[in-house]
Amino acid sequence: MSAVTAGNGSRGGVVKVESREVTRAEVEEFLYREAQLLDEWRLDEWFTLFEPDGRLEVPTTDWAGWDATTAGYFVADDYELIRARVKRLKSRKAHAENPHSRTHRMVSNVILLEAGAETVWITANFVIHRYRDGGAYTYVGRYEHVLKVEPDGLRFRVRRAVPVMESMDPGARLSFIL
Amino acid sequence: MAQQTPVRPLGAPGDGAMIDEDWEALRFRVHRSAYREPGVFAEEIARIWGHTWLYLGHETEIPKAGDFKTRTLGGRPLIFCRDADGEVRVFFNSCTHRGTVLCRHSEGNTKFFQCFYHAWAFSNSGELAALPGDDAYPDDPAFRASMALRQVPRLQIHEGFVFIAFDPDVPDLLTHLGPAAHYMSLTAKIGERGMTTLPGVQLYSVKGNWKLAVENAMDGYHFAPTHNTFVGYLRETGFAVTDDDQYAYDLGGGHGLLVLTGHNGRIGMVWEPRFGEEEKERTAVKRRELEARLGPELAAEVADASRILFVFPNLLLFDLEALTIRQLEPVAADRTDVRAWQFVEVGEPESVRALRIKTMVSFVGPGGLATPDDIEAYEAVQRGIVATADAADPAHDWSDMSRGMANEKQGNQGRSIDEGAMRSFWRQWAHVVGASTSVAGAPPAGAPASGPAAAEAGE
Repeated sequence: MSAVTAGNGSRGGVVKVESREVTRAEVEEFLYREAQLLDEWRLDEWFTLFEPDGRLEVPTTDWAGWDATTAGYFVADDYELIRARVKRLKSRKAHAENPHSRTHRMVSNVILLEAGAETVWITANFVIHRYRDGGAYTYVGRYEHVLKVEPDGLRFRVRRAVPVMESMDPGARLSFIL
Repeated sequence: MAQQTPVRPLGAPGDGAMIDEDWEALRFRVHRSAYREPGVFAEEIARIWGHTWLYLGHETEIPKAGDFKTRTLGGRPLIFCRDADGEVRVFFNSCTHRGTVLCRHSEGNTKFFQCFYHAWAFSNSGELAALPGDDAYPDDPAFRASMALRQVPRLQIHEGFVFIAFDPDVPDLLTHLGPAAHYMSLTAKIGERGMTTLPGVQLYSVKGNWKLAVENAMDGYHFAPTHNTFVGYLRETGFAVTDDDQYAYDLGGGHGLLVLTGHNGRIGMVWEPRFGEEEKERTAVKRRELEARLGPELAAEVADASRILFVFPNLLLFDLEALTIRQLEPVAADRTDVRAWQFVEVGEPESVRALRIKTMVSFVGPGGLATPDDIEAYEAVQRGIVATADAADPAHDWSDMSRGMANEKQGNQGRSIDEGAMRSFWRQWAHVVGASTSVAGAPPAGAPASGPAAAEAGE
């Protein structure tokens, strides 16, 4: 799965996953709340947005759709590694984030691509501004998420942030959540 | 408070030396202008990058005829390609007509490179293939021949690792590599069916001098404090990390090696609990395969210890949990582009490949649990060392790398948690760049061990 194209599952920003309707507004709300948790470094709460077995992925900037099990990535975390990452980032010994970066996320262009048996595939664009050590960095890309649809809300099955920059340059330390 | 009396007055050595070595005081200092000054950087590009073998890439990045990658080395744009006959070629990425960058894609497959500016076209073996309006040029085959793509003066390949030089008079590649060639060969022997680079190249840039990246790789001293959170993660997954029995080797020519026994597990070689039971079984099978193919001694050398190899000036091979090839490209005194490839066994099972990638990127690379702290460290050095530039007391503008010098003076094998590997790098650097070195006292007699085998032979 390379560059995603608008699927035919979404009509007017609504898809049906079994008998449950998922609207674009619900997905937007989920993404906005996630952005807020990350900008406020509330990582324990952020971790609850994943279903058990959820994955966190950041492909490299030369990505052409390769799976995280067959090509180099920046981040290819299974659930236990996401947990380890959160624990690390909360430690004052995570030197790359002590003090924390100031981040400011903008999420837009949310599209519901396709409904699966119990999931919805979505894409969105992001711009993340990051400030640290007197430097200002901008990260631009798109999200390609697989969200598990649950009665009470949504959870990440795959949370994938695809950078569109030619290189992770500068501000290479991906020690915050992209 | 008692004032400590230095053996020789501190301050800038009289001749403006960049390296200050004192075997009586057991002191080794590097002047911080070496990381800061654009003039030093220009000398490095001219004297090192202009006249030394440079690591360009691995043959497996361009497996098929017509495959190409574009890449910049020492600031010069290059085309790294495999021509129609399957030969590896490296051209300056610059049209011979007016100098336009000829190929503006980062990778692909092509028979011809055509300049968009005036439509001159070149075959992937470099001949001028099309010259629009050629009736206005001399009717002379020599003219066309003179307009062939410019190849880099030297190109040699060791175990698939492609090196080039911009100086035709460099010694043979194997002479340049010396004992480092053997350690590159060890990584190439891991796979029964060979090794290959994977797509998914980590391209990133750090705001630090390239030598800080070399120091960081050759510096076992920083591991425990800098990677506290990663060491904690390893402990939680059931693996104790030790820095015992870990050594540093000066391979000559600026090349360095850390041999890290008991550092971490290695996929297929040294099992640790986080790799899972399936991998435990496979590790035993893999060891038998290595022994059958390479013999027990070589198999042990390949499998038993992690290694970090630095090949002067721009290649690092991290043979750790898994293998990573890292290339350094200096951009400015305070900026370095880094490129990193996963280097894997051809034909390994899917589950192993997945484990390898997960394990490696969880540690190494900008998104890992460890590398961001390394980058933080050397970016912090770059920011910090301006503090003492032109300081009131010139003795303040030096970085200290004397750890383990007493041990070195006694002729003992250098430990990875000391700074001996960094000292040997700096000595070679000063030699190649032509920077002045001030040496006081008597350095230890006898050449340093050039590798674990040499060390054993010397005992």
